[in-house]
Amino acid sequence: MLTLLCLSILFIFREHPRVTAVQRGAVDVVAFTSNIVLAPFDAWDRLLESVRSRNALQDELLRLQQENRVLKGKAQRLASLLSENARYKALLKSARDIEDELIAAQISSVSPDPARHLVMLDKGAADGVEEGQPVLGAEGLIGQIVLVDEYNSRALLITDSAHALPVQVNRSGLRAIAEGSGDIDRLVIRHLAATTDIRAGDLLVTSGLGGRFPHGYPVARVTNVEIAAGDAFAVVSAAPASALDRGRHVLVVAQSSRFEAAVAP
Amino acid sequence: MTRAHAVWVIYVSLAAALLLTLLPLPMDWRGFRPDVAALALFYWVLALPHRVGVATAFTVGVTQDLIEGAPLGLSSPGLMLATLLLLYNYQRLRQFDLLQQSLAVLVLLLLSAGIEQWLRNGIDVPTVPWAGVAGMICSMLFWVPIRTVLRHSRRYYEVH
Repeated sequence: MLTLLCLSILFIFREHPRVTAVQRGAVDVVAFTSNIVLAPFDAWDRLLESVRSRNALQDELLRLQQENRVLKGKAQRLASLLSENARYKALLKSARDIEDELIAAQISSVSPDPARHLVMLDKGAADGVEEGQPVLGAEGLIGQIVLVDEYNSRALLITDSAHALPVQVNRSGLRAIAEGSGDIDRLVIRHLAATTDIRAGDLLVTSGLGGRFPHGYPVARVTNVEIAAGDAFAVVSAAPASALDRGRHVLVVAQSSRFEAAVAP
Repeated sequence: MTRAHAVWVIYVSLAAALLLTLLPLPMDWRGFRPDVAALALFYWVLALPHRVGVATAFTVGVTQDLIEGAPLGLSSPGLMLATLLLLYNYQRLRQFDLLQQSLAVLVLLLLSAGIEQWLRNGIDVPTVPWAGVAGMICSMLFWVPIRTVLRHSRRYYEVH
């Protein structure tokens, strides 16, 4: 009986609203309990943080100030470029850019299932998070939201072997699909003709095709292009731009310029 | 059948075992996490087959799925089948020495994980082909400590 129930849930009713409602409802409970389990570790981290030496803190402050200055300088150029771009787009009469609204979140835990790259974020529907929204790390795209509860949500990382996203080579504009490999530091592009212009070091950015990820976020850098003599396709490996297993702070893109993406070159 | 006594110990220990799966591990080490919940379940089936059975296995499996964020019902069938086998053979397994018991547990874990892999393939959820076996051998090594802890708590609280 129960086996039958399991199998029918798995194979027939997997997308049934009641089943997903149970899964959603569990997200907050799991997040809450895991926060309790993790509390001693967090407390230990905070203790270590509070006894760091004054010198180390001053060094970090200096480093951050310098970084901030550099970033501000870049932002000035970016502002002018954005307005220039907007003018061109107005000339071309294409859709207007919508400002992306970012929600700052923290990765609170990682799913214990070793085959998946699923993480728990500490922001949920109450903060404006919705399913399908892209998640950004410090240096680029890291995943998307798959399950949302009231105060927490689960995100699937781009390296999960069930994940694939449309990308574009920044240098040549070539479009491709980057699939997760199941390794935390590797994406794979299959089915690219062996004669394609792609080299190690190329930056892959989201292409905006498919309407899920907005155009232009960095995703990965090509590390290796393997062309076996006689094969029709090259196997391209890329390393995610943002180190997926480091750092806890992420950004969820709440209002993405989804429909604008379709007119990307 | 005797009157139930201190059955809550069973559920508290199973819940504690499930909480242990929430402990953080580095991304690449997650495959070596011993499946403490399954081991605790197997222990209770072996010790009190009239209290803990297929329904408990079902509940543990569903809870595991919810914790992992996996599709519901993925871990239950394997655990239920292993529990069923254990229910048919508990008298024999009680006679085994610890090494033999550990090996029997390994077989049960392989069976339940095999069914889970098969279901995962059926609905296109990613699997870890060989890392899973390493995790099961880690689990097997944890059989003796878990059995000892649970045995002591069972005797202390006189669960029956």
